Amino acid sequence: MEYYIIVLLVYLGTDLLAAWGLNLEFGVAGVANLAFIVTIAAGAYTYAVCTLGPPAAMGNFQAYVGGFTLPFPVAVVAGMVMGSVVGVLIGITGLKRLRQDYQAVAMLVVSLMAATIVTADTPFLNGNAGLALIPMPFADQDPEIQRWAYVAIVAACCVAGYLVLRRFTGGPIGRTLRAMRDDELAAAAIGKDIVLMRLAVQAVGGAFGGLSGALLVAFIGGWSPGAWAYVETLALLTAVIVGGMGNDRGVSIGTFLIAILLLQGVQFLPQIPWRIGLREDLGWIVLGTLTIVFIWLRPQGVLPERRPKYGGSSG
Amino acid sequence: MASRSTPILEVRNLVKHYGGVRAVDGVSFSAASGTVTGLIGPNGAGKSTALNVIGGFISPDGGQVIFDGTDVTGWPMHRLARLGLVRTFQLARVFGNLTTIDNLLVAAPRQKGETALGILGGKRVWGGQEKELLAQAREMLGIFGMEAKESDYARNLSGGQKRAVETMRALMMKPKLLLLDEPMAGLSPSLSHQLEDLFLKLTSEGMSLLLVEHELDTVERVCSKVVVMAQGKVLSEGRMTELRTRKEVQDAYVIG
Repeated sequence: MEYYIIVLLVYLGTDLLAAWGLNLEFGVAGVANLAFIVTIAAGAYTYAVCTLGPPAAMGNFQAYVGGFTLPFPVAVVAGMVMGSVVGVLIGITGLKRLRQDYQAVAMLVVSLMAATIVTADTPFLNGNAGLALIPMPFADQDPEIQRWAYVAIVAACCVAGYLVLRRFTGGPIGRTLRAMRDDELAAAAIGKDIVLMRLAVQAVGGAFGGLSGALLVAFIGGWSPGAWAYVETLALLTAVIVGGMGNDRGVSIGTFLIAILLLQGVQFLPQIPWRIGLREDLGWIVLGTLTIVFIWLRPQGVLPERRPKYGGSSG
Repeated sequence: MASRSTPILEVRNLVKHYGGVRAVDGVSFSAASGTVTGLIGPNGAGKSTALNVIGGFISPDGGQVIFDGTDVTGWPMHRLARLGLVRTFQLARVFGNLTTIDNLLVAAPRQKGETALGILGGKRVWGGQEKELLAQAREMLGIFGMEAKESDYARNLSGGQKRAVETMRALMMKPKLLLLDEPMAGLSPSLSHQLEDLFLKLTSEGMSLLLVEHELDTVERVCSKVVVMAQGKVLSEGRMTELRTRKEVQDAYVIG
C-alpha cells in the first residue's frame, strides 16, 4: 500500500509538470501541440541513455545510442534540454501561417512519425521492446528510504517548476502570450514577434515535458514506444481542458482528476475475465466523453482563466 | 519645419496582383509628417490592399514603401510596428479573452516584463513600468469614454466598442504613422466627432495618420491631403474641397 502511494505521488508529480508545460503551450499561448508526449519521451530516453552505461556492459541485451554513466542531476538536466530541443523542432512544423486546427494535425503527425521511427530503428533506442533497467538514484540506500527520497526530489521539482511556470503565465509576458493565442495577426500588428514567441514557448514547455519524462523513467526503470503513444497527449489535453485552460491551478486540479482519479481509479474496477483490458479502455472512454462534455458545456473548465484586476482607480 | 515637410511615408509605384487582377496597379503617393492623409475611393479601388501592403500584412509584387527614410518594402508587420508604423484592421480584431484594459496594456512597446530579465526577475523589474502604463491606459479609456468597460472581456463589447479598443490599442504604441482602416465605422456620431478632434490633436503633437474612410465629411474635416484611388490606380490627389469638383473623381464614384 505504501509503495502504491509512492507510485501515485510520483505519477502525480510528473503528470503535473507535463500538464503545466502543455498548458503553457496550448492553454496560454494557443499552440495546439498534439505531439507534447514526444518531449516527454525525449526526456525519458535521454535520461536512460545518459545513465544506462554502454550497451556492452550489460551484454548487449538491448541496443541504444550513447550509453553514459552520468550522475542523476546531470542526466535529468540533459533530459530537460533534449525535451526543449524537441519541443522547438515540433514547434517549427506549425510555424507556417497555418490555422490552429491544421497545426494540431501537423503536430499529431509528428507524434506518430516519432513513434514509428523509434519503433523501426532498433539500434537507435531498442525499438518496440524499449529500454529496461534504467537506474534510479540512491541505489545504495534501503529501498524504502530510496523511494521516499525520490518522492521528495519530484516534489521539489514540482515546486520549482510551478514558480518558473508562474513567471511565464503571469505578468506582462503571460498577457502577451494570451494575446497571441486570441489573435496572432493582431498580436503581430502590435509589434509582437509571433515566430520567436511560439518557439520560446515550445522550448519552455518542452523543458517541462523533458523533466517530466526524465523523472518518470528514473522511477519506473523502463521506457518503450507503448509508454508514449499519442493518446497520452490527449490525456494531458483533457486535464488541461477539464481543469481550465490558461489557469495553472485549474490545470493542476484537472491533472489530479484525470491522470490519478480516473486513469488510476479504473484499475480498482474488477477485471472482467472474458474482456481483459476493458476497464482500461473504459478509462479512455470516460476521458473522451469528459473532453466532449466540457468543450460543449463548460469550455472554461473547473477553474476558469482568471481576469486580472488592477486595483484602485489611481493606477 | 524641415522635418514637417519631409514625408513620413512614400509609396513608389506599388503593385499587387491576385492572379490576373491588378488590385494595386502602380500606386505612388506620399504622406506628410504631422498630418492626416486620406485614402478614398469606391469599393474595390484597392485601398485596403494598398494599406495591407504598406502595413506589412502582404508583400507587394513591385514597388517600394519608404517609411521615415527607411526602405521597409516587404518587412513583416511586427517589425514595422516596432519601427512606428502601426495599422488597424477593417474588421476590428480584439483579444477577446483579455479585458479591455489588458487589450490596451498588451500593446505598449518595449515592455520590461517581456524580456528574459523581466520574466526571471519578476515584478521588481517590470512593476514600475506597469504602473505607468496602467495610468496611460486609463487615461486613454477616459478619452474614449470607456472607463466603465475596463474589466469587461473584450469579446463582450459591442462592434463600435471593439473598434474603439483597437484604435486605443494602436495609440498605446505611440506610433509615428498610424494606418487606420475605416476607424469611424460603427461609432456613434458623437464619438466620431470626438475621434476627429483626437486625430487633429495627435497630429499637432507630431503623429501622422493615413486614413481609409468612406465618410467623406470626416475626410474633409480632418485630412489635409486626400488620395483618390480607383481600379488599383491613383486617380487624383489634393484637398477634399477641390477633389469634389473634379470630374474624374465624380465619375469614379458614380461608376464604382
